Amino acid sequence: MVVWRNTADRFGRVSRALHWLMALAVIGMLALGARLVTMQPGLANLWLYGLHKSVGLTLLVLVVLRLAWHRISPPPPPIGGGLAGWLARGAHAALYLLLLALPLCGWVASSATGIDTVLFGRWVVPPIAPVSEALEKQWFALHHLLAKALAGLVVVHILAALQRAWAGDGTLRRMITGRATTADR
Amino acid sequence: MAFSRAALLAALASLALAAAALAAPVSYALDTSASVVGFETDFGPDRITGQMPVIRADLSLDFARAANSTVAVTLDAARAQASFPFAAQAMRGPKVLDTANHPQIAFQSTAVKAADDGAWVDGQVTIRGETRPMVLHATIWRKQGSQTDDLSHLVIRLTGAVNRSDFGATGWSDMVGDEVRLDILARIAQVP
Repeated sequence: MVVWRNTADRFGRVSRALHWLMALAVIGMLALGARLVTMQPGLANLWLYGLHKSVGLTLLVLVVLRLAWHRISPPPPPIGGGLAGWLARGAHAALYLLLLALPLCGWVASSATGIDTVLFGRWVVPPIAPVSEALEKQWFALHHLLAKALAGLVVVHILAALQRAWAGDGTLRRMITGRATTADR
Repeated sequence: MAFSRAALLAALASLALAAAALAAPVSYALDTSASVVGFETDFGPDRITGQMPVIRADLSLDFARAANSTVAVTLDAARAQASFPFAAQAMRGPKVLDTANHPQIAFQSTAVKAADDGAWVDGQVTIRGETRPMVLHATIWRKQGSQTDDLSHLVIRLTGAVNRSDFGATGWSDMVGDEVRLDILARIAQVP
């Protein structure tokens, strides 16, 4: 039976799909963002800026949907208690905060440039900040800072998941298959 | 195109002869629909090109004494177009032309000097409210097939360049070149 909703000890299919889709997109976006910072812009690569904005805003929508889904169908708590559990909860909260703040900062900064933010080359997204060079610099600086923080946290998150998988506590398995152990299939 | 290269060169040579026929400055009106104010600048390995509509142009040409000639042109910067939409928005925005506060670009000649291949037009250009000296090179042609002394319809090509940073238009200087090259093709007709 396909389990869409989360349970007290399992991740449902919706949560897992959102997790892996966003994981792929976030890692890709961090790599693309790092490339944009060092790239010599030209007509041939101008589309990469549009792609970065489009995927970034899509991620913003996905994280809002994910948080809404968690209200409808609460995810299971981290496996294990104590300090590890507390750290896991803190890291997850920080990840969600950054996943909300990072695209919002980018949107504000892009709005401040006065150039349209166009979603997938088709839809113009309304600006959420006045055109201002000072605002543009401040918000892009914050965007870059938050991107570095998110990159660091993603690395910690992956290492922690691998460490838990190595220890055999079922955390990684639960996000892949929905269940922490093979015994309760 | 109405002007072949050979015909234009022949017409240019004949302008000197025709000049004797006109001993005083003559007013010309610009055919805005057939004239183009083009510009280009560097964008990484590529170029951004664009055009700007002319609001008005007052030209008074003295072919016998070039120094008596005057040129005044006003451009509609707020309706400037570029080769891709983002460039047009960036160019009109506050970091470059700031057309919300400075919708026009104006050029007023201060001296016109005859040259072997046309004329040098010294003047003052106002961009973003900043006025700076500018020099344009002018080449003038008669209309193809017209009589040697018929200067009623002319084509003028004006070329020159400005550094946008001189006018405070410093936006995206890490991506877009400082020098903006102008190439203006103006079709003018003598005012009756």
